[in-house]
Amino acid sequence: MTAKLAVAGLDKRFDALEALRAIELSVAPGEFISLVGPSGCGKTTFLRIVAGLEPATSGEVRIDGKAVTKPGSDRGFVFQSDNLLPWRTVIDNAMIGPEIAGRAGPAERRRTLELLKLVGLEGFEGYHPRQLSGGMRQRVNLARALAIDPDILLMDEPFSALDAQTREIMQTELLRIWEQGRKTVLFVTHQIDEAVFLSDRVLVFARRPGRVQETVDVTLPRPRALALKRTPEFVAYVDRIWRLIEDDVRASVIEERG
Amino acid sequence: MTATGIEGSKAATPPRTGERGFGAMVRRNHLAGVLSIATGLALWELLSRLVVANPLFLAAPSQIVGAIVSLGESGELGHHMAVSGLEFVIGYVIASLLGIALGLAMASSVTAKQVSQPWISGLYATPTIALAPLFILWFGIGIWSKVLVVIFLVLFPVTINTEAGLRTTSPRLIEMLRSFGATPRQIFLKVSLPSATPFILAGLKLGIGRGLIAVVVAELFGSRAGLGRLISQSADAFNMPELFAGVIVLAVAGIAMTAGFSWLERRLVPWTRD
Repeated sequence: MTAKLAVAGLDKRFDALEALRAIELSVAPGEFISLVGPSGCGKTTFLRIVAGLEPATSGEVRIDGKAVTKPGSDRGFVFQSDNLLPWRTVIDNAMIGPEIAGRAGPAERRRTLELLKLVGLEGFEGYHPRQLSGGMRQRVNLARALAIDPDILLMDEPFSALDAQTREIMQTELLRIWEQGRKTVLFVTHQIDEAVFLSDRVLVFARRPGRVQETVDVTLPRPRALALKRTPEFVAYVDRIWRLIEDDVRASVIEERG
Repeated sequence: MTATGIEGSKAATPPRTGERGFGAMVRRNHLAGVLSIATGLALWELLSRLVVANPLFLAAPSQIVGAIVSLGESGELGHHMAVSGLEFVIGYVIASLLGIALGLAMASSVTAKQVSQPWISGLYATPTIALAPLFILWFGIGIWSKVLVVIFLVLFPVTINTEAGLRTTSPRLIEMLRSFGATPRQIFLKVSLPSATPFILAGLKLGIGRGLIAVVVAELFGSRAGLGRLISQSADAFNMPELFAGVIVLAVAGIAMTAGFSWLERRLVPWTRD
């Protein structure tokens, strides 16, 4: 199978800071990949480079063999903070992608309404963001990215602002939605259990410079339910990844305390 | 699992079914305000009748109402209001359009900002109302010298707010639009302009009070008609009821326009409410 997404020799420097070094990655179509690592390991920067929001210093990102230089409708970005436009209703927020591409016709609108149903927002199409809970706003965020029908979903800690219960629900919801379309997903998170629960493969990042320390294949069966998180196999994966990043996380925590 | 699951059930306040519109707003803020005004008026009436008791210094509210009624019946009040109103409207509209345009230019071009910033900051801080006698000298005693003073006082808050509103657009929202491949024009129309709208409205609201001050003070310096003229000629004749009549009409106009603007804000930019 040819790679959907191929990253070769990717480096990123912000002046003196070496944010990313020699990232190599090949992602098959429909694969769900998570990126975990301590703060400051460059995982979000990596996602932004793939999105075309940030240029690489050297190396390249290819999607279906074509080099990425700017944002495109083959990639949908789900933001950490939902970034909904407060003056727009749920449906109009979700339609922003097609609208920018100049394809906001009735057919696109019907499709977007279907997506809102898929993410569980049926009946809330006419609501404004301020009337929604954090979890619902993230559902709009996801629907908005899906509305351009991207091949690849880029998700930057989308559930980090949610409370623990809502986050667990959103994880199962995301898997349910993903099972229906099987988009290729790159998912950045701090939560190791979230990464293991969702992914086919977990890229463990290390810091200074940001690089892929290890790749962990998660062979847990699908579809996955929340009960999976209590199985010994699941816990073993989480333990293994935690041990990989523990020292780095301690170092970053101490640094942040100054 | 649907949105009516765990976080769905506690979320989503239904659309407000309560009262809407201008009338409802007035009723909501009703009681305490009305009581306060009524008490104030009663004290004023007592003070002017029993304590000061000299019509050369202070008019009682009842006398003022009488003056307003008689000035209104003679058509004099209507004429003054029409002249002042015209000066205000022409000046305010020109200043608003010019101010928004200038603010847009400053937000979109660094050069435009560098060129105009010192002038705008300087003139905003200066009491430009002091230029009114000069404008009367240049443009005569008619309405255009007043229009110019109104423009000078209204222009700068509108410009400054427009520019600030556009400049403070959330970078995260801009980035979101960029991730969909938006052009700079699309970013401006779909994010910057809507998110600057509350600021622009606030600038326009600020301009109402300043514009009214401009009209009256400019008329005090020299005019044939207008509420400022009414006030100054009443003062010269020690006609306190008519002087206060002019002041009251101005106050009511200012309050009504500001309240109308608040209502407009609720309609146009409801997301800023909380």
